[in-house]
Formats: sequence, C-alpha cells, structure tokens
Amino acid sequence: MADRRRINPPSGPTITPIFLASPSDPPTQPPHRTRPPHEIRKIFLKTGLTPSASGSAYLELEPSSSPKPTTCVDRSTSALKLTCTVHGPRPLPRSVPFSPHLLLTAHVKFAPFASKHRRGYVRDTSERDLSVHVETALRGLLISERWPKSGVDVVITILEAEDDGPAFTEGGSGGAGDGAGGLSGWGMMSVLSGCMTVASAAIADAGIDCSDLVSGGVAAVVRQPSFPHTQTGASKASPKEIVLDPCPSEHADILAVCVVGYLRSRDQITEIWTRGDMEGLPGEEGSEQSNFEVLLDQAVEAAVSSRLVLDAALKEATEYKLQKMAPALPSSGEKVKGSD
Amino acid sequence: MSRHKLVKTMNLDDELDDFDGADFDDGYDESEALTADDKARLENGVREVHSILGPSVNVSEKSIEDSLWHYYYDVDKTVNYLLQQQAPTVPVIPLEDNQASSRAQFKHSTSSLFCGMERCCDVPFSLQGFFADATWRHVPPERQGEILIEPLYPRGGLCGGSPGAGEAKISKLAALAAARKKKENEKHTCAESHESNASVAMLEKLDTRTPSAEASDLKGPANSGPDTQSVASQSRPTRHGLRYPSKRRDYSPAGSFGKGTPKEAPPHASESENPAKEATPRSNPTAAPSVFAKTMFGDAQDPILSVMPPIQSLALSFPRSSGAKAKSDPFAGPSPDDVVAKAQSSSKGVKAAKKAAQSAKDDKATNDITANIEAVAIDEGPKPRSKNLDVLAEFEKSRAKNAANFIVIGHVDAGKSTLMGRLLYDLKVVDQRTVDRYRKEAEKIGKSSFALAWVLDQGTEERKRGVTIDIAMNKFETSKTSFTILDAPGHRDFIPNMIAGASQADFAVLVIDAGTGNFESGLKGQTKEHALLVRSMGVQRIVIAVNKLDTVQWSKDRFDEIQQQVGAFLTAAGFQSRNVAFVPCSGLNGDNIVKRAEDARASWYTGPILIEQLEASEPTNRSLDKPLRLTIADVFRGGVQNPLSISGRLDSGCLQVGDRIVTMPAKETAVIRGIEVDLEPADWAVAGQNVVLHLTDIEQQYLKPGDVICLPSALIQNVTAMTVKILAFDHLTPMHVEVHRGRLQVAGRITQLVAVLDKVTGAMAGKKKPRLVQPGSVARVVVQLDSAVPLEAPGKVILRAGGQTVAAGLLE
Repeated sequence: MADRRRINPPSGPTITPIFLASPSDPPTQPPHRTRPPHEIRKIFLKTGLTPSASGSAYLELEPSSSPKPTTCVDRSTSALKLTCTVHGPRPLPRSVPFSPHLLLTAHVKFAPFASKHRRGYVRDTSERDLSVHVETALRGLLISERWPKSGVDVVITILEAEDDGPAFTEGGSGGAGDGAGGLSGWGMMSVLSGCMTVASAAIADAGIDCSDLVSGGVAAVVRQPSFPHTQTGASKASPKEIVLDPCPSEHADILAVCVVGYLRSRDQITEIWTRGDMEGLPGEEGSEQSNFEVLLDQAVEAAVSSRLVLDAALKEATEYKLQKMAPALPSSGEKVKGSD
Repeated sequence: MSRHKLVKTMNLDDELDDFDGADFDDGYDESEALTADDKARLENGVREVHSILGPSVNVSEKSIEDSLWHYYYDVDKTVNYLLQQQAPTVPVIPLEDNQASSRAQFKHSTSSLFCGMERCCDVPFSLQGFFADATWRHVPPERQGEILIEPLYPRGGLCGGSPGAGEAKISKLAALAAARKKKENEKHTCAESHESNASVAMLEKLDTRTPSAEASDLKGPANSGPDTQSVASQSRPTRHGLRYPSKRRDYSPAGSFGKGTPKEAPPHASESENPAKEATPRSNPTAAPSVFAKTMFGDAQDPILSVMPPIQSLALSFPRSSGAKAKSDPFAGPSPDDVVAKAQSSSKGVKAAKKAAQSAKDDKATNDITANIEAVAIDEGPKPRSKNLDVLAEFEKSRAKNAANFIVIGHVDAGKSTLMGRLLYDLKVVDQRTVDRYRKEAEKIGKSSFALAWVLDQGTEERKRGVTIDIAMNKFETSKTSFTILDAPGHRDFIPNMIAGASQADFAVLVIDAGTGNFESGLKGQTKEHALLVRSMGVQRIVIAVNKLDTVQWSKDRFDEIQQQVGAFLTAAGFQSRNVAFVPCSGLNGDNIVKRAEDARASWYTGPILIEQLEASEPTNRSLDKPLRLTIADVFRGGVQNPLSISGRLDSGCLQVGDRIVTMPAKETAVIRGIEVDLEPADWAVAGQNVVLHLTDIEQQYLKPGDVICLPSALIQNVTAMTVKILAFDHLTPMHVEVHRGRLQVAGRITQLVAVLDKVTGAMAGKKKPRLVQPGSVARVVVQLDSAVPLEAPGKVILRAGGQTVAAGLLE
C-alpha cells in the first residue's frame, strides 16, 4: 500500500550554495538597475497554455539583470512566472443561491517553490490578499450581466515570484511585515501587476465578454544611490526618483510603490494599490498634482506599456484561431480583442 | 469731528493720486511722456549696461531700456537678466523648425512650453476631439456646461527681452503692468538671497502670457493695462479642477518622464488632432520566452515552429475538439430552469384538457397533451371511467333472482334478533363454529338464550344490554330470492333507527312474543307503533311471526287469539288482509322457520313456514326509470384505496361507475369510483339494491347520513316548508316536531293545520282549519323546517314529538 502521507520539506529558504571559483574573484555587486527608469522589463505572454481550461495564459518577466553566471548567491535571476487558467462561464451549482450576474472567483496561489522562502499548500494571508485585488481588478472588466446564474473561476498559479530587495526591512514604510515570507513586501506589487495582466489575457482567451482589457503597471519611488558601489548610508542626501516596474532586488531603497490595473481603451483604473512614503518627490513645483498623482501617472505609464504586450499576444492568438476556423480566410487582425 | 465733515473737506485729487492704481488708469499716456528725471536715469543706465556687457553681446537699446525700466534702473539685475536671456536664444531657432519630430528631446523648459502652445494654435479645434474620451451619452456633468474654447491666438513672441521689432513697446507695457503687480507679491514672498533668480523666473512667467496680452492689445486699448493678465487667464478654460475625468494621456514614452509631471496636453488638444503624436509607436516590451517557457511553447525564433506556433501544436495534441468540447460548453442546451418551466407550462395545459375530457365522456379523440399526461403516472391512481353501460338492459339480463329487503320489527325482547339468527344459522349463512362460540360466550355472562341474537347484534353495547340498538343488516339467499335482513331495534328509545331501516324495506316481519302477558304488553308497546310506522313508510306486506310458542306448549288457542287481535289491529292500521300472514314459530329452537316443527304439539299447523312466507312475497316493482335517489345511510372510510365511501339503498333510478353525482343539500358533486352491491364489486346498481359507493372529488364534510344523492340532470330540491297529508297517532296541534325520513332527521314545527280529511276518500271532512287533530284521523298540515333538506313528493315522513311518533305522512 502506497504511503499517502505528505512530507513537507523544510520551511526555511532552500538555496543551493554556490562556491566561489577562487578567492581572488572580486566580490560581486548587488544587482542594480541597468534599464532606463522609464522602461519596464520585457514580458513574455502566451495564451492557450492549458487545453482543459476555457481560457489560459502564461506570463513571465525576463530577468532584469544580465543572465551571465554569477558566482555568489544568486539574487539576480528573480523573475516572475505566472500561469492563469479560467474555468467557465459555467452554470452555478444548485447549492449556490440565484445570481443575476456572473459570479467571479479569483484564486491566487504561490507554488511552494515560487519564492526562496518556501510556501505552504494552504493559502496564506498574502495569497488571499492578492486574490481580492485581482478579483477587484477583473470585476470592473467583465460584462457580468450577460451571464446570469453562471460562475467563472480564475486560478492564478505563481510559479516564480519576485523576491524582495534587501532594503525592504530598512524601508519599512510598507509595514506589512507578516513575516512569513520575504514576499510580503514590495515584490507583491509586481506580482499583482503580472496577475492582472495574465488574468486579463486568460479571460480574453476564454471568450468571456469584457469591456476592455486590464493591464497591470507598477511604479516606485526609489532613492537613487549616489554611486552604485556604496551602501545606503550615503543615500539620505541622494535624490529620489520614480522608476517603472521596479525589481525589488535591484533597488536598495524603495520608498513607495503604486500598482494599478488600467483599462487603456476606456482610460479607467479598476485597481490601485499604493504603499509607502511619497514625500518629497522630484516634481515641478507649483504643480497641482500631488505626489501620489505623480506616482499614479507613472504606474499608468507602465500599465500602458504592458498593454502593448497583452494586445500583441491576443492578436497572435486570435489570428491563429481565425486560421484554424477558416484556413482559406486570410488572417487579419480585425477581430483582435481589446485593441482599439 | 464727524465723518461727514471729513468727507466734505477731503481733496479728492490728492486721495486719488495716492492710490496706486490711479497711475495705471492713464498709464498709456504717461509711458509716452516719461518725466525728464526718468529719461535721464534711463540713459544713464543704458550707458552703464553697455559698458558692462561690452561689444560682444548683441543687445538692442530697447531691450536694455525695457529691462532697466523693469528693474527700476537696477543695472546689476538688468545685466544679469540680459545675459541669461542671451544664452537660450541660440537653440530656440532650430527647435522651432523641427519641433514636431524632435519633441522628445525637450525637457521641461520654457521653450518646450512654447512648443506646446504653438502647436495647439496651429490646429483648429474640433468638438469631436474634445469629447473623444467621453462615452456616448455619458458625458461627465462637469463637461456639459460651458465650453470655453480658447481663441486661436497668433504666434507668441520670444521672451520679453528679445529684440523683436515693433513688439518691444507692447511687451514693455505688458511687462510693466504684470511686473509691478508681481513685484509687490514678490516683496512678501521672495527671500533676499534668491532675489535675482526669482526675478528672472518671474520675467519668464510673464512672457508666457505674452500672446494673450498681445491679443488683448490688438482688440483695443481698453483691455490693456493692469487687467491684461487676469483677462488672459480668464479667457483660457480653467480645467485644473476637472482634469481627471477628461484626462487623455499622452503615451509618448519619454515626453513626460523624469520630472514627475506629465506634460499636460493643451486644453483643446486631443489625440485625434495630433496624428503625428499618435503615430509615434511605443516600444513593445515583448520578451523572448525563457528557457522554462520554451519547454512549453517552443522557441519562437525557430523558423519551423514559428510557422505554426508551438502552443497550437500542444493544444492540438489534446482531444479538445470532440468530446471535451461538448462538455466544455455547458450552455449549449436549454438550461435546467427552462426545462422545468416548459414542463410546468405543458402540465398546466394538460390539467385543463383533463377536465374537459371528463365532462365529455365519449371523447375518445385525445390530443397529444392528454396522451402525454396519461403516460405520466399521477398519484391519484386511475381515473374512474364510465363504461357507458345501459344499466337497465344489464339489469334485465342479470335478473336471476328476486331481491327483497325486509325489516324485522316487534316489541322489545320479542326475539327478533334470535329469530333472525336462527334463520341465518339454519340457512348455513352462519357456520356452526361461530354460533358455538357465541353460545359459549353468552353462557359466560349468563345469557345463553341470546347466543343466536349475537349473530346480528355485533356491538358490545348491544350484547351487554341484550337489546338491539341500531339496524343490523345481513343477507341470505334462498333458491328463489336473495334477502336482506334489516333487524330493527325494538326498544322505544331507538325508534328513529327503526324508521331509518323501515324506509329501506320492501316488506316487514313482525315478531310477536306469544308468552303469557308478553303479547299483551307488546301490543300496547312497540308492536303497535312499529306496525303503524312501517305501514306509514309504505310497507304493504307484513309477515307476523308468532314467536316463543314453545313456551305456551304450542297452544293453538293462544295462536288464534293473537291472530285475531293483531289481525284486527293491522286491518285498522291499513294493511290489507291478504297481505298479512301469520306463522307460529320458535326462534330459539328453530321450529317452523326453515324447517317444520318436530314437536308433536305443533302438528296442528300445516300452513307455510316462515321461510316459505318470505319467499312468497312478491317482488316489488322497482322504480328504475325514475330519477336517481339515494339516501345516505352511512359515511365511512372504505379502506386504503377508497378514502371516502357511502352506503345506502337506491330508492329509485340507477347508477354506474364513473357517474358524476350531486349530494344534497350540500350541492357538491362527486364522481363514483366504485360500486359494491351486497359486498360484491359491481359496475352498476339499480333501485332497490343496498349499495356502497366509493367516491372521489369530494370532501367528507359535504356528506352526512340522511343526505340524498342524485344526478346533476335531475336534482332534488331543498325545501324548508312542506305540506304533508298525515295520519295522526296522537293529538296534533301547531307544535314542534321532528321530521324523519329514513336517516334524515330535521327539527321543525307544524305551523298550520289545513284540514281534516276523510280516511277512505281523502276528501275534506269537518272543519277547514281545525285547532286540533284527533288521533287516528287523517289531516293535511303544513310543516316548517328549521333547515333546508332534500325532500320531494311523494316522500314518506314520520313526525315525532317528545320521543313518541305522533304522525306519519306523505309529502304533497
């Protein structure tokens, strides 16, 4: 008889030790941002990953740092990998009371190996929090009154999560601190942004009626180190800067992060999540915009950029579907969903 | 002292001179004519500035003068300003040429601001563009009100200090006005250390207003002056508060980045107006798949896979198209709710159709709906369906034996029940074992002689008291006739039950106790009353069983005596002598009942014995062709299958299974589901039979003993008043009586004594309206009933009062 017990691995971080080739090697630098501040990381997005689901999508962010092999404990390979499956719309079970709208349920789950701090099988608070955020972002998207007595389940699995930077505890303004994993900090914001984008792609793949596509964007206020090699001690005097799509491991000092779910065609925001201290941003004096608005605008900028990827991925998928439906039909992008 | 005086003495001109604004009211004229002092200082300053700047810097006299004027002849500040002004003039010229293409290079500076300004002036305003971001019919309320469209201003000039030909004078004035006002504000706000820089910035800001100021000046001098700035700011729609709803973002990647404030599009500019801006593509940050993703999707760079994307090859390898597809589309068929609703609607139609089908019995043609519903099993069970028999013809065919009901009457303890028990016992209707058991039980309580009576007296109360209380019914057959015994109670307390039984009887068996003294007491008691009652109820033939003759040693004298007395009485009661027969018998021993008496002392009797007398009774003519009348004798639950049943004797007419009947006085309809005739299931029944009807489609509350069942086609009427021809047994006055008709009992009163009639002819005799009706006389009376009951002529009724039968009568 098979042993059905589930044996949990150690709950602590499991990082393979990598040994220095020789003691003479120069100590590796912590990763730093090489992109321009207004550039987001490149996104890979594909739909139709899971054949058994009504709609599915896969999203990954390329590792921001150069993929050259490092010799130290490797922090630079932090990249986001998400899969999303959409089941439905399907009839509600009998036990559920009548609903005149499409009932949306979002489940976000980290794979146990998603972050360096190992995750449990039961959803923890941060996962439930993300689920609520994703659900909010998607609810403004769906035309739910077209599907009475139906439900749709959006299941997002995070295969690889963004790691938090070393400065998270130091920054401290986030104050989430549930302490279970290192990811309750700034990295969650990037994960949420990716979740929104991938869920939107999967919903479009499932063919559920939407008013637009939602794309996630993140912007952060970071303290620019005066020179990258020194530690953060001197950073008090250094100017603050807004960067799009921050990779937490690349920034020593993240002060505030804003993530939005943005409908570009409608110019609407379905989800905002902001944390941190936004004081003293480099802005135009006399401007009536608050610091928050400035940061929000930049997050929207990031969302607009990721929307381009979303459009391209859906266009590709739609073209293929058209091809499959009518091989004689010349594939044209007329039916591309969401692109305005 | 007083304020009035102060006002009176006030020098208005002086006061106005003090007022700062007074200078500006006529400042235009003043600028033309500067005072000599001013001119001198101006010239002085220009010279100084020239010397400081040197020949290398190309600055016109006019600009120096303007600057000096502005800075109140402060040479240092003027020089500072002019030098700063000189520097940017160099790049401004090329920027203007190719500003559309190289807009991205502009950082936030005055020049870039100018760029936006110029561009918006070039493009005409369009309402379509203005509402581009508003959805149809959902224009935000704040934008519905006033639309202030900025007029197309001419191109703005350069900074105030530049040597624009002809513009200097105007700009100087505008600068003067604005600067003065600014200066005053500046005094409070600006710190001393930043003074020079602030001044420069101030001038720059001033210059941004220049176009509007120029426009104002062109329109006329009235608009010029210190108000110019405010006019200019008003003429521009103030949209800062409303910015968010209408904000249309400019998605140029670098245009607004870095400095924090994204460049606000000019108020009346929108994307549709700027095709060039739209066209600038944003770099698509699509990445190549990682190694991990390649394992799932393949390499997009691979030329083979890129022709057919790997994801599709993956998808095609799964059986997604056929079986899973149907399952994955749960909305393909009708929803469960739709199915239910459809079924409900169809069943509603069926119910209506079902009723219609019932009313039209012969309707063999069933449409689809009825066919459907018959296929569907309904918990009610099969509907009673009429076989549409010709009942009378069936009755003629089946007529094998005569049927007769007879009622056994007599005084209490005359031995009625024992006589009938003996009859049944001798006819083997009751087996030996049962009678033995009764005998044993009767001996136990010391009433061994009652054993045979217990065959009919089933109730415990009856057995305990040794008297019959209610009508007991039993059935036996001879070779010629089938009989139903109605064993009536002899006790006077139970006369109503006896009346109920008598109404069902074709003939009567009067049992007389021949014992010494018993006959006499009986004749005074219920023997007489019963005989009168059954005669009143229409019984014409009567058999007198002189019982218990064994107790008087079969004395013929005793028998003759009884025969003579009773015969006389019965003749007086209205029985014809040929319909009266006497049989000497002994119920306890069974002599002369089914078999002749073996006792030698009884040999003197050679006439017919009891059973022969019963068989000799002529079959009564059944009123088959009359409308159906059935008086309910009992209402009961006939078993699990038949929750509601009634029993009674069919007075007239006939019925069959499936008939719809009406019960009166409730006027409720019911359907006959089954018929039992003499405890056997039957399809029909005719008058004269005692039947049990199993009913459906009716509630029990509408059925009571005494109610009359009839057909809807021939309803019996409910009456509250009736005229009755009665035979009085007692003195009758207008009084309260109880009216009995079979099981029916209703209270009423005699309201009117109409007339006393002749017994034989029925003609009026005596007074018309007598006060009293003597016993034995025939009279016509009017009876008012307390409640409406189904009665019709010629019905026979009994009137009782105070526990005595006072009259019997016939409805008229």
